[in-house]
Parts: sequence; C-alpha cells; structure tokens
Amino acid sequence: MKTVIVYKWARNAEDAVVRNDGTVDWRNAKMTAGEDDFAALEAAKAIAEGDELIGLTIGDGDASWALARGVLQTISVTDASNLTDNASTAAIIVAAMRQIGGVDAVVIGDSEEYAGVPVALAGQLGWPAIAHVSSASAVDGRVQVVRKQGSSEQTISIAAPAVIAVSAASPEKKTPGMKEQLAARKRPVTKLTLAAIGAASDDKVSSKGTRLPETAAARIFDGDPAAAAEQLVAALRGEGVL
Amino acid sequence: MAGEEAGEIDFDVIVIGGGVAGAVCAYQLARAGKQVVLIERGEQPGSKNLSGGVFYCRVMEQVFPNFVDDAPIERRITRNVLSFLNPTSHFNIDYWDQRLAEPVNAVTVLRARLDAWLSEKCEEAGVMVMSGVRVDSLLFEGDQVVGVKAGEDELHAHVVVAADGVNSFIAQGAGIRAKEAPQSLAVGVKSVIGLPRTVIEDRFNLTGDNGVAYAVVGDCTQAVAGGGFLYTNKESVSVGVVLRLDDLEAKGLTSSEVHDHFLQHPAIAPLLRDGELREYGCHLTIENGPRMVSHDVTRPGLIIIGDAAGFTLNTGLTIRGMDLAAGSGIAAAKTIVRALELGSYGQQAMDDYRNQLDATFVGADMKTYARAPEFLEVPRMYKEYGLLLADIFHDIYNHDTTPRKHIAATAFGAFKRSKMKLFTTIGDVLKGVRAL
Repeated sequence: MKTVIVYKWARNAEDAVVRNDGTVDWRNAKMTAGEDDFAALEAAKAIAEGDELIGLTIGDGDASWALARGVLQTISVTDASNLTDNASTAAIIVAAMRQIGGVDAVVIGDSEEYAGVPVALAGQLGWPAIAHVSSASAVDGRVQVVRKQGSSEQTISIAAPAVIAVSAASPEKKTPGMKEQLAARKRPVTKLTLAAIGAASDDKVSSKGTRLPETAAARIFDGDPAAAAEQLVAALRGEGVL
Repeated sequence: MAGEEAGEIDFDVIVIGGGVAGAVCAYQLARAGKQVVLIERGEQPGSKNLSGGVFYCRVMEQVFPNFVDDAPIERRITRNVLSFLNPTSHFNIDYWDQRLAEPVNAVTVLRARLDAWLSEKCEEAGVMVMSGVRVDSLLFEGDQVVGVKAGEDELHAHVVVAADGVNSFIAQGAGIRAKEAPQSLAVGVKSVIGLPRTVIEDRFNLTGDNGVAYAVVGDCTQAVAGGGFLYTNKESVSVGVVLRLDDLEAKGLTSSEVHDHFLQHPAIAPLLRDGELREYGCHLTIENGPRMVSHDVTRPGLIIIGDAAGFTLNTGLTIRGMDLAAGSGIAAAKTIVRALELGSYGQQAMDDYRNQLDATFVGADMKTYARAPEFLEVPRMYKEYGLLLADIFHDIYNHDTTPRKHIAATAFGAFKRSKMKLFTTIGDVLKGVRAL
C-alpha cells in the first residue's frame, strides 16, 4: 500500500520550562520528532508492506529522522510554520498529499499537543479515520489496526484510503545506529513550498499568553511519623475536613 | 598498512564526543577539506555536558574569528572574586578591570547552547554529526586503531579522535588510562538559578553583558578539599561546588549536602534570593590534570583530546578546561591534517600531537601548573587560612576601645592565636609560590 508517514519536527515541549510567572521558556528545547511519531512510523512500515513509504513533514525539519528509520524518501513543506490551528495544519498536509497522489494510507502520531490534526485531516480528505491505534498492518488490501479500549484490545479492519493516528505505548527502544544514519544521508529529500502545493500558512488561532493554573497551597508534614500524623489530623480538623 | 585501502574507509577521521574539544577538532578538519564524522552519545551535542567554570575564550578566535559576537555566550567576565569563606565571615579579593573586556578574555556559557551551536558550525563546515550513538569500542588491526564499533555497526577511518570526556572509556579501552584513583577525581554539583537580568546586574554591580566569576574556598565545601564557584549568566547564576572524591568520602559528607550548605551560606544566599531553580546536575571532573596528561595521549591511529586526555587545570584562582579542550582539539587537527597528507597514521605520525601541544599555551601551561594539584592538597587551604585572614581583619576593624597595634603585630597576634606553626605556614606559602 502506498503510505505516507506524517511526522512533526518541532521544539520538544518537554524541554520547555514554565516559569513562576507562567511564561514558557523554549530556549533550551531541542528540535525533535513528536513522541508518538516513531510508533506511527512502525505502523506505517507495516501498512506499506514494502510498497512505497513516503515521509512528510511541515517546516524545514531534519528529514534524517525519518530517513534513518527506514523511510526511503521524504517531502518537506519548508516554508510552512508550526501552526496553533490544527485544521490549517491538516490543510497543508492534504495539499502536500495531493502532490504525492495515489496515497492509500496516511499514518500520523496521535499527539495530545496536536490532537485535532488527524481528525481534521480525515475530514478534509473525506476518508475514514481511526485514532489511539497501537499497531497496524495491511490485510487483503485493507488496513487492519489494533487499538486499546479500556483494558481490552480491539482489532478493526478499514477500507483504504484511511487516516491512522498511532499512540506510542513506550519510548523508542532502538534509535538508529551509525550505518542507518550514514544511509539516511544518501536518500532523497524533496523540498516543496506552500505556493507550489497551493496552500497557505494561515494561523487563525493566536495565543494571548500563558499563566500557571491556580493551585491550592500545599503543606508538608514531615519529621517523626507519629508527630507528622498528629499535625496532619490537627490540620484536617482545623479545615473542618474531620 | 592494513585498513587504509580506499573503499574500506568511511571517513578520514572519526571524532568521538561532541563537546568543545571534539567539535573544535572536527570543525578544523572539515575546514581543511577532510571527511569527518562527529559521534555524540547524547540526543544532541551538549546534552551530556556540565561545566562549572568560565571559558577563557581567546583561543576560539583561531577557529571562529568573531567567536564572542557570534557564539551564544552569556556574559563577558570583567570581575573576578577570590573568596575565603568561613562560617560567619569571608575575606574577598575583588578584582574588576574593564581591560578584561578589551578584548574579551573570558565568558560564561551554558553548554547546552554553546555545544549545540558548535555542532551547527560543524555541520555547516561539512562534518556529519551523528547523535544518539554510543561508541562501544575501538577497532584495531594489530596495534593500529582503524575505526569504531557501536552496537553491530562498524565505521572505519584513518584516524580516530577520542574526545569522550573525563571518564573516557575509549582511552581506558585502548589501555592508555587506567581507572582514575579517587584523589585524581572530583565531583561537581551545580545549580543554575534563574533571576531577572536587572536583578543580576544590580546585585553583582554589573553593566550590560559584563559578568562576575567567584572562586570560593573554605566553608563552601565544609572543609572538604575542593572549592565553590559562582558566575553570572545573562538571566541566571551558575553556582556549585567541586569536591575531591577521596576527601568527601573521608569527611563522611555527600556532595548534595555540601552543595546545599553552600547555597544556603549567609554570604551566598542573599545573592540567589528569590531565584528560580532552572537546572541541577552533577558531573565528574579532573582534579589532577597535569598527572593525567603526563600519560601518553596517542596510539597508532588514535589521538586523545580534551578532558579525555586530562586537559584540566585548577590553580585555585582559575579553573580551566574548555580553553585547553579547544587548544588540544586544534593541535590534534594539525597533526591529523599532516598525517593525512603524508598518508601515514602510525605512532610516529601521531607523536607530532605532543609537539603541536608543546608549541602552544596548552602544553606550556600543563607544565607550569604541574605542582598546582599538590599545593591544593594542603588541608589548611580549606579552613585555617580563611579563618586567619578574617581574624586579622577583625582585629583591624573591631574597635573595642583597646589600644591599637601596628598591622604587623596585629597579624602576628592573630597568627599566634590560630595555633598554626610558623614553619608549616612558610612551607605552604613557598609551595604556593612555586605551584602558581
């Protein structure tokens, strides 16, 4: 199946520091792929089953992330920025996919940060979409996925073309070795522009600032366990809890 | 020589470790038109590094002519404070000089930013930066180093440069270094405390991008051999302690306890008041660089640079590592360029590295300060001398209506009360004069 793996290349939100005044300091945040993207890539490889697998990213990101992980060619929409509006992001992906043409499945990380992108993508493409997927494969020309439903696992079969959003259950176990990184350098990277694919980087949503959520002050009772327990009980009585 | 036929080589040079030494060496080689790969264990260069000192950065002008303006530096150090710290007093030598900024001589840096920038420069120059790869071992053909192995993968090169830091498993694996004894090593514990720019400038009497660096000795380490440091960044203060491992163990303290004690010290806490903890980390560091560097630093096809070779100098007044790392990286690159031109990578070709080092400040300073670690082993440095200085000045400034004495008599009186022996002290002074 001709499969597109859409990966994010952006500053890692986990490296950002939220200051006491609620502002976010991004200066030490490293550029990285989304935390679900490697799991999505594994699923995409299984769906492609040796057929064409194309990496797609928005912005001038490091294509070697995908190329060192077994993707043989990538496309970047270099002048598209990291948008807050998930529907606009999906529109750019759709425009790039039209350039590729003949896609049977698009696989994307099911990230909390950009939760709206997979569904907006499916909506604009008019394709079925399944989210929270843990693994996928191609069976008899259809996409078969497994997703977690509470404590059980559900297996679903979807007619292609389809949008599959994959959640990673654990961090990536094996990062690319030296030979894979070396091979990645020799693989093709196609750079497209918004104008070339007929899309616009139009963010309809804008942030008006950030602040810390209001939290009740915490009190810590430590030291001798018996004395600490007594203090806790006294405090709970004082607050009218007991 | 085996392993050198065309086709078997993936790169001219493999550099292991993306710190200052490795990046500078790789950059110089790429600029000379060589095929270089820089292999970094961390997710990206800088993610594993921690420095506890200022960067005496003039050497970087040899590599990046506009280093101070182009690189992500924090502040330019124009004020140096040497502080003898006691539990309830301190005696500071406070040296400010605008000439230290003309030209800029020392800067503070945050390694996560500086190393990432160096890595970008390397890539621009044509170095392939391979992150997230831990080199497991060297590849040998006979006694010739011909490449590296990481997991199942092998890469071959004419020369391998080990810039893999203080623990250098590569140098240990090559049989050059044994596991260091605890008295040659120290542990550094550092906090980065965020403060608004204006607060830093007001609190430390700074203007613009100028900064201050403190070297502290005494109660900062609770008399453990080692010292405290504090220096200003743009919007944060880096502060911490470096503790000699054997003495820390002997005194029954933990490094985090000593670190916390220093930050809460009445002479230090007000400088950090209302700050926000941004980073906290610890790292092993070298206590006796000159002894480590006196080992051989090459093997056929292998050169060791930076901390991996032991290029660190603690003189008590200055703590240096990054400038020596850069200098050793430049020296190694010169040796390798020559070796590649001659097509000769044996021991004799690698031996040129020592000559290159000795022709610069790196080799010279390692010799000049060879006795500094011995001087810093004087236990009185960490307690008695600080107290003595404070006692002398207490006698000078404490006007308690008793008749005053001449300063020499005051100092001698304080010395007598300290119960230190005159000959021991004269011995320490002579040791200091010879070592520094």
